[in-house]
Amino acid sequence: MSAQRIKVLLIEDNAGDARLIQESLAEATDDPFDLETTDTLAGGLRRLSAGGVDAMLLDLALPDSFGQETFVRAKAQALGVAIIVLTGLHDDTLALKLVQGGAQDFVAKVDVSGNNLTRAILYAIERERLEQEFRKLNEELERRIRDRTAALEATNKELEAFSYSVSHDLRAPLTHLHGFSSILLDNHASRLNEQGQKYLRNIKDGAMRMSALIDDLLMLAKVSRQGLTLRDVSLNSLIEEVLREFESETHDQEIEWRVGSLPFIKCDYGLMRQVLINLLSNAIKYSRKREHPIIEISHKIINGKQAVLVRDNGEGFDMKQADKLFAPFQRLHRDQDFEGTGIGLATVQRIIHKHSGRIWAYSEPGMGATFYFTLDSEISNPAEKSAARAVMV
Amino acid sequence: MNFESVSQPIDILLVEDNEADVRLTQEVLTDSKVRNNLIVANDGAEALSCLRRQGKFKNSARPDLILLDLNLPVKDGREVLAQIKEDADLRTIPVVILTTSKAEEDILKTYKLHANCYITKPVDLDQFVTVVRYIEDFWLAIVKLPANQKS
Repeated sequence: MSAQRIKVLLIEDNAGDARLIQESLAEATDDPFDLETTDTLAGGLRRLSAGGVDAMLLDLALPDSFGQETFVRAKAQALGVAIIVLTGLHDDTLALKLVQGGAQDFVAKVDVSGNNLTRAILYAIERERLEQEFRKLNEELERRIRDRTAALEATNKELEAFSYSVSHDLRAPLTHLHGFSSILLDNHASRLNEQGQKYLRNIKDGAMRMSALIDDLLMLAKVSRQGLTLRDVSLNSLIEEVLREFESETHDQEIEWRVGSLPFIKCDYGLMRQVLINLLSNAIKYSRKREHPIIEISHKIINGKQAVLVRDNGEGFDMKQADKLFAPFQRLHRDQDFEGTGIGLATVQRIIHKHSGRIWAYSEPGMGATFYFTLDSEISNPAEKSAARAVMV
Repeated sequence: MNFESVSQPIDILLVEDNEADVRLTQEVLTDSKVRNNLIVANDGAEALSCLRRQGKFKNSARPDLILLDLNLPVKDGREVLAQIKEDADLRTIPVVILTTSKAEEDILKTYKLHANCYITKPVDLDQFVTVVRYIEDFWLAIVKLPANQKS
């Protein structure tokens, strides 16, 4: 025990009780306490504001304050002071409540003895010290979180400025590359030989690929930043909408669409639309060389979860490379066979992960591919739901 | 629609600082079925001088349509748009935002400033031609604009 004296403030209006406590403390081994006594809360609060008090023994029934209120008022003044509440015989419930409210301990007056009062005070001081430390650590942590958040927000702002600049400034030169090579091909082709014309077409194609790459990258970045707005979405009507969008690019392909009766799913409408656009355009692209392309969208329960399946009978891929499928910029096919930026499936995966879902694929080369995804959000069918309710009633 | 009956050439103000973009738009408009007269302003301040017929634009016609880029030197496109739409005399001229930006904040901001429409300039020239045709068809043939504004 440190040699330093411990300052204890006793707030007690009953002179007999006060003396009893004084005597008990004097009995304590080494007599480490300096005791000051006051008989009103107002007096106690004055003493507390002068500082230097380590622990306070507090009677709740005082001439100028009673019960829980006494504790609340004393506590407000006693930052860093350990409070031990002195209780009557049957006050355990209240005492416990006070400990939850920040008192370090309570001692029933009938139990007061030199030993247990000393123990209560020393332990209470230690607990108060730990609590202070805990509070400080917490404040430090909160400060750090605030700093980090500010730093993250600044980075985010920079990223936004960056993607804005990408969106505007990187695209503008591409319109020139594509525009002027097109004009050369349209109006001045006669002055170029076959090879010159081919080079111009290469410039045009390059500009278009770069443009697609920029669009895909911006979409990937946007998906990462954007929050989710979840609502019940009918997969069937969403797919209808997406298929309408594909009509113009697929009119020369005789694709057989097999769309089953699909459930409603809880998801972000815009992001799920992007998932379907990417998965279906993938399916269209890789079944392009089939004479009779079939793309099937269905659902089934896998491991207790509703999964959505997109299956095509196209080129497929080697399962050994399945881990590369969703990584950005990874392509499993040569560009001259199937063009692409390698960002579409990465975007899909990011969206599914944002929904706390899972995505995977199964394929054999030449046998088509099947993409599966589940969302953590429950897949719900309003018809089934109301049926379930009816049963419960 | 009979475009041939439009005898008066249409005056279009193109606000665009980039020489190459100006050329491309000129190329596309040259082949237009609507007879047009393209006035070019290279920055925002010039655009407003033109609309108010000040300085070298003293004898310029009042445009029937404004094609406005957003990122301009001297005076930004958003500022030009705000000033056009604050001006009781100029605000009736349709302003088509024609820019390479697809940024959502640009789209929202310009509509809040009462842009008449926002178009992202396609990289593909054929698509750009189509877009310009649509702009002409819609703003110069389909919609009715207030008459007698030329004086």
